[in-house]
Amino acid sequence: MKYAIPILLVAVTVALMVLGLYVTGQAGITVGVTKGSALHTARASTPDQAVTNLLVDVQRRNWDRAFASISSTSGISEQAFIQDWMGSNGSLRSFSALEGFDSRPLHATNDEAQFRVRLHFSTPVGPLEDVRDIHLIREGDVWKAVWPKMQVSSVPAQVIPVNFLRWDLVTGSADDEWGSKNVDSPHVRIISMNAVESAEGAVVMGEVTNEDTIPAFVTVNATLVDAAGNPIDEESSFDKIAHVLLPKQVTPYRIDFPNLNLKNVKNVRMDVKASLVPASADPVIGVMNQKIDSDVQGKSVLSGDLLNQGGQTVNIPHVIASFYDSDGKVVWVSDGYVDRALLPQSSEPFAVEIPKALAAKVHSFHVVVNQFSLGKS
Amino acid sequence: MSRLLRFWAIIGLAGSFVGLCAAQDFHVPESAVAGEQASISTTGSSKGIFYLVGPGVSRRRDITLGEEVQLAPQDLRNAGDYLAIVCSGTCRSENFYVSASKPANLTFLVHPSRVPVAQGDAVSGVAFPFDQYHNLVLTTQNVSFQLTAKDALLWSRSVRTQNGVAWFRTTSGKSAGPVQVTASLDDLKTRRAVQQVASDPCNLRITGQRTSKGIIVRTEPVHDCAGNVVPDGTIVTFTATGTDGLGTVDAPIKQGVARAQIEAPGPTTISVASGVVMGNEIRVGAQP
Amino acid sequence: MIRAERGELPNHFVIAAISLCVLLFCPVLNLHAADTGVQVQLDAKNAGPRAVENLTERGIVRDYRFAWTSMAQALQSNTLDPLAGAFSGDAMQWLRQTVASQQESGLTRRYLYQSHQLDVVFYAPEGDVMELHDTARYRLQIRDGNTTIHDEPVVVHYVVLMTPGADRWVIRQLQAVPQF
Repeated sequence: MKYAIPILLVAVTVALMVLGLYVTGQAGITVGVTKGSALHTARASTPDQAVTNLLVDVQRRNWDRAFASISSTSGISEQAFIQDWMGSNGSLRSFSALEGFDSRPLHATNDEAQFRVRLHFSTPVGPLEDVRDIHLIREGDVWKAVWPKMQVSSVPAQVIPVNFLRWDLVTGSADDEWGSKNVDSPHVRIISMNAVESAEGAVVMGEVTNEDTIPAFVTVNATLVDAAGNPIDEESSFDKIAHVLLPKQVTPYRIDFPNLNLKNVKNVRMDVKASLVPASADPVIGVMNQKIDSDVQGKSVLSGDLLNQGGQTVNIPHVIASFYDSDGKVVWVSDGYVDRALLPQSSEPFAVEIPKALAAKVHSFHVVVNQFSLGKS
Repeated sequence: MSRLLRFWAIIGLAGSFVGLCAAQDFHVPESAVAGEQASISTTGSSKGIFYLVGPGVSRRRDITLGEEVQLAPQDLRNAGDYLAIVCSGTCRSENFYVSASKPANLTFLVHPSRVPVAQGDAVSGVAFPFDQYHNLVLTTQNVSFQLTAKDALLWSRSVRTQNGVAWFRTTSGKSAGPVQVTASLDDLKTRRAVQQVASDPCNLRITGQRTSKGIIVRTEPVHDCAGNVVPDGTIVTFTATGTDGLGTVDAPIKQGVARAQIEAPGPTTISVASGVVMGNEIRVGAQP
Repeated sequence: MIRAERGELPNHFVIAAISLCVLLFCPVLNLHAADTGVQVQLDAKNAGPRAVENLTERGIVRDYRFAWTSMAQALQSNTLDPLAGAFSGDAMQWLRQTVASQQESGLTRRYLYQSHQLDVVFYAPEGDVMELHDTARYRLQIRDGNTTIHDEPVVVHYVVLMTPGADRWVIRQLQAVPQF
């Protein structure tokens, strides 16, 4: 009797393990876990195992073992391989960690295979997802990944004059003479507002402009009000807005109200606040080759290239796009972070998603680039 | 017996009335000015306690009735309502007012700090005269307002204060640049600065040419409709439409001109806009 | 001679006793109604050059009431804490001086049954300052320790300057005058 419970526990554990492996195996997907060596096999005798081994080692930052899963035909050095995963130049990738992955086979033969992996990164700006196709070949009785060489912008050495515009804020002395600190807050104005329902809840979006001649730090809040005039919820745009607006600059904004229905909402009260802030007009970032397309997963995306026309590295570029219908009304605002740094005089691709239900309504769009540079005020 | 009781009741009543009318009589100043010494005369001969309660002051001191109670200037520096209380057995109180002394400061509020040129009633100012103790001077004063730019007088007006305030409103000047706004009252002068800025861009025009780095576009010097150069930092949006898709660059104006570099190998049409103002379009041929 | 019946007090004795009681106890039997809080009313019809917006009127009434409630608490308890956020500039200075002075002298003051009639006499074109005339009615009590040395209903005329703060209007100047 005294052995009955331990035996029962072991039996249940084994049964659950078998069930877990069997079910995920049947689904044809491999799920990555953050810790544990349960899924790492010594020899990747199948392409599925090769992908799993590679990604588990990357997750654990076991670079030597991860690079050992790469075929020598890739022509990539270990240093470049690590940099591809770890990021460089203070990019968003440098501060990210691979949390998990999903992979599924696209096609497979005896000697080569193609897998599509969805990589889940945790970053300082929230969870980010990346999709990559990994090509595998069989070398002997082991499968290995063919890793593409990373395209690194080659910026020739040069001298770029630093003559960008900069605004500094001087607050004056501590003497509080009434009326002496007469610097008005910047004039900003909300030029459009549209409240819609989405799959996740209610969304309020639009555009705001800086009508003044000095830079402004802008935040936009919205309060949903019911028929009795009572507030239902209040939210802010957080990072779905370019907070620092130069004179006459326009930014879209989007305010999400998760799990909220618009049917009880009678009114939307907008509140825009602008304050004085030191700012710089550098670098100028061009947005080239913008077009609406479908990505490898079949989602509608607005893609293009960011071109840094200045002499300063943009560590974390952030793209915010507004989409308009044929009447010029803002029907959606999307944003996305580029996880590679934007080097001077070089470009990086970007893509932001458009909800499938809205893609057909989009007549035109406008992209604004927000930027974060390390060590910059 | 009843006569005796009646007698003592009357004595008691009379005594209390006499007590109430006990001889601590005193006289407060009829008018007092902030920061100036004043005194209160008292009558009587016994000891008492003097209290002075007013804006910013609560004093208590022992006095001898019949002597003058001196009120120090620093106790009367705030204008307002003061209560003098003398207690000797019972307490008596009298109130008096302290008024502001002559103006020593002119508080001047001017708005806005930045104003587009040639805008009606765009600049306004409010002036309050205060004495040296920061009391609002409510007697009528003559305040002069002036607007000057580069030592040239643009506008002036003299206004009499009402309820301690004088104000003005006027049109902004025609030229961009700093304007000094002055309020003066006798020898007092307070200055503020207002920056007059150009209005929205007018007649936005661009030129462009293809180079090895792409298409370099630039605007002609950007002015408003009055001819003032638009402030540096104003964003101009260049939009390029070509076979490879759409390209946009938000470039700031520097020394009156905005420049941008656009990568577009094929034939491209480039347009420009700033705020709600649209400019011309140019067509640039494909890369040879 | 009138003789009282057994068990019955003579009338004149009763009258004397009652008079004495009234004299002795009248000051104590001060039948105060409960202080129902600061009452504020605002009349903005004479405001100029800028008209006072409805929302601003409500804000002024609310914030003026808050300011006087805070001031009464501060001067009754001789602490500065209640004043935070209600006053600025010279008014704040004056109140700091008053509290410090009271702490030194051991005096406190109470403003009871306050009612304020505010008239807007000036509202700046940019809305950054407002001048009001306050006809304030209250009962002013001055105490030296536990002894009340002054207790009187008063009507005081105040010239008030208010400016908009971060989230409320604050009193910048509070100056009593004999008349408007």
